[in-house]
Amino acid sequence: MVTQAAPAEERSRRHLLDVAGLDWRSLQKLLASAGAMQQLLDSPAGGSDALRGVGVTTLFYEPSTRTRLSFEAAAAALGARVTTFNVATSSVGKGESLIDTVRTLEALRSQVIVLRHERAGAAWLAARHFGGSIVNAGDGWHAHPTQALLDLSVLSRHLGDSGGSLAGRRIAIVGDLLHSRVVRSNLHTLTAAGATVLLTGPASLTIGFAEHAASFRDTPGSVQLVGTIDEALHNADAVMALRIQRERLTPGELDSLEAYRAAWGLTEARLAALAPHALVLHPGPMNEGVEIDPDVADGPRSLVLEQVRAGIPMRMAVLAQVVAEARA
Amino acid sequence: MTDLLTANFAKHWVVDPVAALAGVASVSIVAGQIVSVTWRDGEATARACWAAGANPGPSDPTLALLPALIDLHAHFRQPGANASEDVESGTRAAAHGGYGTVALMPNTEPAADNVETLQGMIAGERHSVRLLSIAAATVGRAGAQVSDVAALVKAGTVAISDDGSPIADRAIFRAALLAAAAAGIPLIEHCEEPSLTAGGEAADGLVASRLGLRPWPAAGELRAVESAIAVLRDVAASTPTARLHLTHLSTAAALATVRAAQSEGLPLTCDVTPHHIALADAWIAGDRRWAWEVSDGDEHLAPTADAFDSNLRVCPPLRAAVDAAACREALRDGTALAIGTDHAPHSREKKEVEFGLAANGIAGIETSLSVALAVHRAGELSLATIVAALTTGPARLLGVAATGVTVGGVASLVQIDLAASWRPSRETLQGRSINTPLLGREIPGVVQLTVLEGRPAYQR
Repeated sequence: MVTQAAPAEERSRRHLLDVAGLDWRSLQKLLASAGAMQQLLDSPAGGSDALRGVGVTTLFYEPSTRTRLSFEAAAAALGARVTTFNVATSSVGKGESLIDTVRTLEALRSQVIVLRHERAGAAWLAARHFGGSIVNAGDGWHAHPTQALLDLSVLSRHLGDSGGSLAGRRIAIVGDLLHSRVVRSNLHTLTAAGATVLLTGPASLTIGFAEHAASFRDTPGSVQLVGTIDEALHNADAVMALRIQRERLTPGELDSLEAYRAAWGLTEARLAALAPHALVLHPGPMNEGVEIDPDVADGPRSLVLEQVRAGIPMRMAVLAQVVAEARA
Repeated sequence: MTDLLTANFAKHWVVDPVAALAGVASVSIVAGQIVSVTWRDGEATARACWAAGANPGPSDPTLALLPALIDLHAHFRQPGANASEDVESGTRAAAHGGYGTVALMPNTEPAADNVETLQGMIAGERHSVRLLSIAAATVGRAGAQVSDVAALVKAGTVAISDDGSPIADRAIFRAALLAAAAAGIPLIEHCEEPSLTAGGEAADGLVASRLGLRPWPAAGELRAVESAIAVLRDVAASTPTARLHLTHLSTAAALATVRAAQSEGLPLTCDVTPHHIALADAWIAGDRRWAWEVSDGDEHLAPTADAFDSNLRVCPPLRAAVDAAACREALRDGTALAIGTDHAPHSREKKEVEFGLAANGIAGIETSLSVALAVHRAGELSLATIVAALTTGPARLLGVAATGVTVGGVASLVQIDLAASWRPSRETLQGRSINTPLLGREIPGVVQLTVLEGRPAYQR
């Protein structure tokens, strides 16, 4: 399978719509840039004015806490003019279309829109109608590029070789794959970094993922769908629990939360038995006591807060990159 | 109305699916009537050429003359959504696409379930294109009560259909089939099992999974086809005039099921659309190769800048390359008797939105012939198969006479430059809506002239 971006993609580098098609070199550049941003954050100044005067708007059609705040903190740390577009109180409720909204924001001198939307592909539509840069902060079930990038930065720091590569590492991802943009994006970044990814979850929530997994065969890493959490966790270097997205579930997709925990939950007992050294990740927000137990989420193997912290420098790196490409 | 045509078409590649002749011929028309047809190499050669597929060779003329095309399935949105299309713009578009006859589906607003609305559906400036009406099979297309079919037939309806939705209640479906049989017309069914397809955005499979689009399973079509055939089998046993036509089939499994039912002798026909024979679901990711250029597993799945084009949102959805191949095979072996455009114009307001929120449908009546010629040019289907699927096949379903290229006949013809190509755009398309994924793409075959019943409907 060919995953390289087509030549026509040159024009779209001013956006970050997806991590699909980004090769390991591009990812390494972003990891290095995020590292430099972390140093900036740790410096006495606590940031820079690299994006002084640049209008960055967060446009979120779905509720979010950490992603939106993280983007806003990242933009502020680079000196950007940050605006929060409140969809709930805007003309969107009066039927204003996404295209009209991004055009309005362009007229109001937004140069970057950070877009979260409940429909797959919304960021692509916005990008075709916006003169500035679109950063995809999650489109439906499809993609969550900056989450995958920050996950990669955390995993690369803990498990990477000297170049950051995850070759030879086994990463398990457990839970609701069907509705998860986090897993879809992580498959691109983790396989580009060389990891072996083991996917598992209830049959009703992993539909289509055997073929989906096989489609990564020509990447440096590999993906496999396995039937049980035991198989996925066996010798795993890290395990990521996915949120049970109660708002996206349809009747019949899940029996009960108790049964889910029993079969698929990350419990300390299960981890101790199967993957004693595994690090634990969760994209948040967590349903503690369902897909992850509180003692695991707060325990020594947990990287959950580190993931949240890693969001700011990675999003600074992304914002700096898209603005640089737009200026180029 | 334009004047009757008088013209000489010297040395054209002429295909006549009625007389089963093809080859180089010169055709003269005086006052709209064909006064002479001279086959350069004689009729016997022309007959052999038709039997061999009617394909022109490299040294043959590139101007072709075919019977004016017939579409068994289009939407001109009148009444109800004239911002998208109406009879005036729709017939202009049809003539530009080489169509002389178009059958309109009744999912108008209100539904064409009564004589007045049915007549209103085809009223207006028609640019010399002939319009046929298909009435709603059930009142309000609500699936609860069969329409007054006898009155609708008297008013000219050529078939009944609740297109856009299936008739969910199988007892009502059977009653509609019987009512159509009694009136001597076919029932046209849109095969979809809504409990399986509700909310579906793209065909279930790798592309939908990679793009995070809600799946529309192949079983959603197959289950409806199987159930329709089961009812037909019962009805046909006692009602020999029963006829069922399944429109815009899209899956290999459904077409195989239809093929098997036809071999039982059931009075069952079907059609496929231009988009389902030529495009695959990987187009949604931006992989815009023709379906026959893609093999399973080599799709480009990383979304390009053109990805999630809502002009690709259509019901039934575009499917994998193997399904597109099955649609072409169905035309090749006669399982499908027609290419029906399912011309579904939509205004920008309904299409320039998020993929999953966009109205379903592709405006295809102007590009249908070019897409079919692309299929032909790739060696996938003979020109004879394509011409039959665009003329005699739909004529058979609709119960209208197909016109050939014969002396004494009134001229209903399309002249097309096979060597030329064009790009669909707001400037080149004649319809009111331009919701086609082919915008900007170079496609073969430029219609020079469409003539219906002796009068030019379109002239380049």
